[in-house]
Amino acid sequence: MADKTMPISVPSEKPFKLVKWKAKEGAFVSYGQILFLYSDSSGNNNEIKKYKAVRAGTIITIKVKEGDIVEPGGCIADLEECRHPTVMKEMCAECGADLRAEETQKRDTAVVPMVHSVPELKVSEELAQKLGREDADRLLKDRKLVLLVDLDQTLVHTTNDDIPPNIKDVLHFFLRGPGNQGRWCHTRLRPKTQEFLESASKNYELHVCTFGARQYAHAIAELLDPQKKYFSHRILSRDECFDARTKSANLKALFPCGDNMVCIIDDREDVWRHATNLIHVRPYSFFQSTGDINAPPPLPEENIKVPSGKNGSQVLASNPMPTLDAEPDKETKEIKVKEINENDSKPVEVENGKIAPIDDKTSKSGEKENDQDMPSANSNVPVWVGTDDGQIEVDDADDYLIYLEDILKRIHKQFYDMYDSMGRYQIPDLKFIIPEVKCKVLAGASLVFSGLVPTHQRLETSRAYQVAKSLGADVTQDFTGNTTHLVAVRSGTAKVNASRKMTDGKKKLHIVTPEWLWTCAERWERVDERLYPLQRGGQSSARRPPAHCSSPPPAPPMMRKRTPSGRFMDTINPLLSFSSDDIADMDREVEDIFNESDESSTDEEKKPQDDLDDEENISEDRLLSLETENSSQDRLRETEENEETSDSNTEDGQKPRKRPRPSTPPSDDDGPPDDDDSSWNLMGAALEREFLAQD
Amino acid sequence: MFYHISLEHEILLHPRYFGPQLLDTVKQKLYTEVEGTCTGKYGFVIAVTTIDSIGAGLIQPGQGFVVYPVKYKAIVFRPFKGEVLDAIVTQVNKVGMFAQIGPLSCFISHHSIPADMEFCPNVNPPCYKSKQEDNVIQEEDVIRLKIVGTRVDATGIFAIGTLMDDYLGLVTQ
Repeated sequence: MADKTMPISVPSEKPFKLVKWKAKEGAFVSYGQILFLYSDSSGNNNEIKKYKAVRAGTIITIKVKEGDIVEPGGCIADLEECRHPTVMKEMCAECGADLRAEETQKRDTAVVPMVHSVPELKVSEELAQKLGREDADRLLKDRKLVLLVDLDQTLVHTTNDDIPPNIKDVLHFFLRGPGNQGRWCHTRLRPKTQEFLESASKNYELHVCTFGARQYAHAIAELLDPQKKYFSHRILSRDECFDARTKSANLKALFPCGDNMVCIIDDREDVWRHATNLIHVRPYSFFQSTGDINAPPPLPEENIKVPSGKNGSQVLASNPMPTLDAEPDKETKEIKVKEINENDSKPVEVENGKIAPIDDKTSKSGEKENDQDMPSANSNVPVWVGTDDGQIEVDDADDYLIYLEDILKRIHKQFYDMYDSMGRYQIPDLKFIIPEVKCKVLAGASLVFSGLVPTHQRLETSRAYQVAKSLGADVTQDFTGNTTHLVAVRSGTAKVNASRKMTDGKKKLHIVTPEWLWTCAERWERVDERLYPLQRGGQSSARRPPAHCSSPPPAPPMMRKRTPSGRFMDTINPLLSFSSDDIADMDREVEDIFNESDESSTDEEKKPQDDLDDEENISEDRLLSLETENSSQDRLRETEENEETSDSNTEDGQKPRKRPRPSTPPSDDDGPPDDDDSSWNLMGAALEREFLAQD
Repeated sequence: MFYHISLEHEILLHPRYFGPQLLDTVKQKLYTEVEGTCTGKYGFVIAVTTIDSIGAGLIQPGQGFVVYPVKYKAIVFRPFKGEVLDAIVTQVNKVGMFAQIGPLSCFISHHSIPADMEFCPNVNPPCYKSKQEDNVIQEEDVIRLKIVGTRVDATGIFAIGTLMDDYLGLVTQ
């Protein structure tokens, strides 16, 4: 930076007498402030004149005393110009100078937006470092850490759908949009949220970090924390995010001295670029038709598949999210989940549509039975029960925050144990501590998988292996002397039989279902193995970890990929732009695919986007499904496909089972156009990609 | 600073209002369109006091809309550099504090807050506190500040303030 010290020189051509200083050495003077009084030294004219500062800055040295005579051109004082370290709306917040006018100053101006909710307020790198250091020192002194808290699906679940007004513990608020429009939001806090915040705020400084709009974020923060004692003004919303896809870009600005004291809780790993200081929480879903209403667009470079592992207890709680997350579209609300109870051969239809029993819009089709079946089918899914007082009581079994609270306590303890042992000279880094804490969960355990990893896949590349490794467990291909656990999908495999023999002998070998591993990964604790025994003849379908146990990739917008031509225009209404030949072609194609899959197996584990995945993935899915027996079934299908395929299905007569028809027509005219922004945005994004691809 | 000045405004009226209540509608429309707005030149229009004249309406060809030139007097609030004003603190953070002077938002940087006042983030709400703890500025407090700069945009005015002068700071009632 150039030397900004400039001398204050004499403003007259004749010698003059300095009468009185109005400013002190070291004082900050603003533009136009009176610096000193002077008069003509010749004595003829005793009029006292004022000298005003022509620049803002700090007076470093005063070289002329009061009463002295100053020659023309002599230096009176040195003034250091303001460096504009704090800038608000392109105005220096210290001297008030307009930086738009002072073009030359541009390169020195402040660049770091340090205050969460005011992106216009920027400070210089230097000042940011200083403030960051002060923050870090204060946190260390208070023995606290920083916790970035995501809102949607982590602490709350919000929907814009019409819901019954009398559900207990659901908060309603109205967000004013541009003009006179707006939207109603209905928010359910995750059970134990208040207790969680209370407890976490003792060890952590809480910051909100959400992709919701600013108004929404502040409204939710107000609901969570009306006294502002947890979050204060530390609320970062989409309006302040540098990047529409990731939140990690803002970390550098908020924590200029590094993020080694920052811990993150979020239900999306990708928005933090899979940072190691992230605790990936199980997404909270209350309104079953809605995913994350503020989900960012998916990252294009990510091409991981959504795991489709399901079982009775988790299928609705965790699986709809990755799909709905990226596609808050009307269509997805009609996704059907078909599942068969493990112990019961009677097919149970569970509709993952709108809140069926109450919403009159959707209660047309066979959802009445859904009403009764839900409680028995799922333990993690909120159960809607009407009570006498007209309120709808909701039995919400989500208890994840209790475990999260415990995880956070352990991380905090580990950090400060390490800080104390390091002699207070260095600050440990949570990016290493958090994986370390996680590593202790299954430390000492040695696992063998059976039926979990497809034979053609290398053990090291499987998700299950990575999950187990991240928990600190050792995984071997075959039994060794140290093996402590056998994680088996079903009984009757060679390894299960071998292990049953082994257990008769010496030490205890736990034979558990994969759910045990996923639960450990979810809660970061060694869950009692006895809760997840492998039943003889039993079969678990949770072959893959649920989304939150590993990295869930955002689902690609599926409507784009569905069209064989891949053109965007077809995605709006494919039937409009296709010739009849095209449509016939498509029908054939769908039929072929469907026949194939019917032949290969009846229990494909598929998510909607799996259908659309590339060849490789589909074949892998088939391999998987070939291995499994036919006792469990999950089906997630897009409505449109459903319609098409059901015709072909009845033709070959292989599957007499009734297929769920869409409860509402797939047209999206059932809402005012303005409340459907998100789907339009998605379309816009798809259009943009298309244009880019064409180049 | 507040001024009572004459201003002009054009009201565009839909033909559906042509009727006996026409002039009332014009007046009503003037209030809603003008009060609470902000122009760079005159500042915030606080309130319309009198409507001096409603000129002859001019029908827009091809549209049917009519344009009325209206002359009115209004109280406006125009902040100036160097002006001393009372403000209400709205947000306190480590970089400084935000304050509201009626419709005008103002930011006071930490640098412009007397050096003996320190930022205390641990109390709720966060505040600036002097070492003797006799002088505390927190949210909702009334402070007296001097404006050192204004940013005048098409839609609003933003001010930079300072507390570094005699008699500035917390106003105690």
